[in-house]
Amino acid sequence: MDRPLATPNPRPLTVLIVEDEVLLAVELGFLVREAGCLDVGHALDSKAAVQLADRLQPDIVLVDVHLSDGPTGVDAVRKILEDRKAVALFMTANVKRLPEDLAGACGVIGKPYSDGSIRQALTFLAHCLQAGTASGPPPPGLNLSETFAARWGVDQLARAG
Amino acid sequence: MTIVDAQAPDMPLVFVNDAFLKMTGYVRSEVLGRNCRFLQGPDTDAKASATLARGVSAGEAVSVDLLNYRKDGTPFWNALQISPVRNATGQIIYFIGSQVDVTARKAAETALEAAAEEQAKTAQQALADRTALLHEVDHRVKNNLQLITSLLVLQTRRTLDDTTRGALERMLSRVSAIATVHRRLFQSHDLERFDVATFVRDLIGDVSPERDEVAIRLDLERIDINAAQAAPLALVVNELVDNALKHGLPAGQPGHLRIRVRRLNGDYVIEVCDDGPGLPASGAFEPGFGLTITHLLAQQLRATLTFESGAPGLRVTMKIPVHG
Repeated sequence: MDRPLATPNPRPLTVLIVEDEVLLAVELGFLVREAGCLDVGHALDSKAAVQLADRLQPDIVLVDVHLSDGPTGVDAVRKILEDRKAVALFMTANVKRLPEDLAGACGVIGKPYSDGSIRQALTFLAHCLQAGTASGPPPPGLNLSETFAARWGVDQLARAG
Repeated sequence: MTIVDAQAPDMPLVFVNDAFLKMTGYVRSEVLGRNCRFLQGPDTDAKASATLARGVSAGEAVSVDLLNYRKDGTPFWNALQISPVRNATGQIIYFIGSQVDVTARKAAETALEAAAEEQAKTAQQALADRTALLHEVDHRVKNNLQLITSLLVLQTRRTLDDTTRGALERMLSRVSAIATVHRRLFQSHDLERFDVATFVRDLIGDVSPERDEVAIRLDLERIDINAAQAAPLALVVNELVDNALKHGLPAGQPGHLRIRVRRLNGDYVIEVCDDGPGLPASGAFEPGFGLTITHLLAQQLRATLTFESGAPGLRVTMKIPVHG
């Protein structure tokens, strides 16, 4: 059986924040730490995002679509996911403009989001990554991609809109 | 005018009048004895000439607009009508043709079509521009709301004084309610309507994990209100829920919260009930800022607000006329 072991103290997940609004990034940093994860770095543009992902090898990358070098978030995610095991999550005001496959990201949270929804989403993701399966339906506000919903055994019908 | 011999092989022209010669630029000796298809050319519509051929072989009268060519090669539109002439035994012996040059009319029609096409293109472009602009503005509104929210949270984090912190938190919850409205408004296909049930679900989704000692029951019928009413309605619902959770069911105390949304007798009815201590015995209580704005916004919505004992607890009912 290759079921992941439920270790009592799993290594905290590392999170890279890619967001060009500095205040949003700082607040996200707080939320990441409150969710029991490690806030390992912030990037303002796609180039820095790819470089930091390379250097820090984060478990989770939170990515805005519009960065300081333009609408480059989607490409940044494709590059980051190319040869790394990280999981990406979009946070954008333009949910409808994302490609169908979410560029390989696990899901998307629409802006404006609430602190609560980010905290819940991070807790949900942390469980999925550490246990390999979801603890239940994703929290409201978090829309999973088809691929990841299937991977984590989330019933498509139970997904919140 | 032309006459062709229907009995001779390949139906040659046997008579043409001067108007025909003038229209086509030929002299009589060049055309008599030939089938009229010599008038057709490279851009003649094959479908139109097929219609003509079908009519002739069926012995029927045909009327068709045909692109023909003069002797000098210039094209003209020929509104052609042909009719069969029969002898005493019913056999077709001639076809009589009449030709009218309708090039001017055709040109006007083509110009009109081109103009209509151009107009449609302009309208389409205008719509695309409008949609792009709408998306841009929507995007900015959402990002700015996110920025306002984050500012409030950051300041709250650094505020140690309980009263100030409480005020900031209440303000954050109000801004978040408006933010939730905006997130939902442009997600739906109909920009004019706002789905109240989904909003309530989002709102509760935000507070419920922080208050898992409270059992929350949602009874939500799908009702769509006018988008212009969305923000005030969201603020009122937010105040009522906030009030129930702060005063009715203070943190750490188990209790029940029920929210009901439905349409009843020409009203949209929204009920928020808790089973906390309810109204003070005298019925008079100090209206705080939250209650003040709740009343003001209800007025703006032309809604009636009722506060009554939920036996136990408090039940607040808001009725908004459907055709307000």
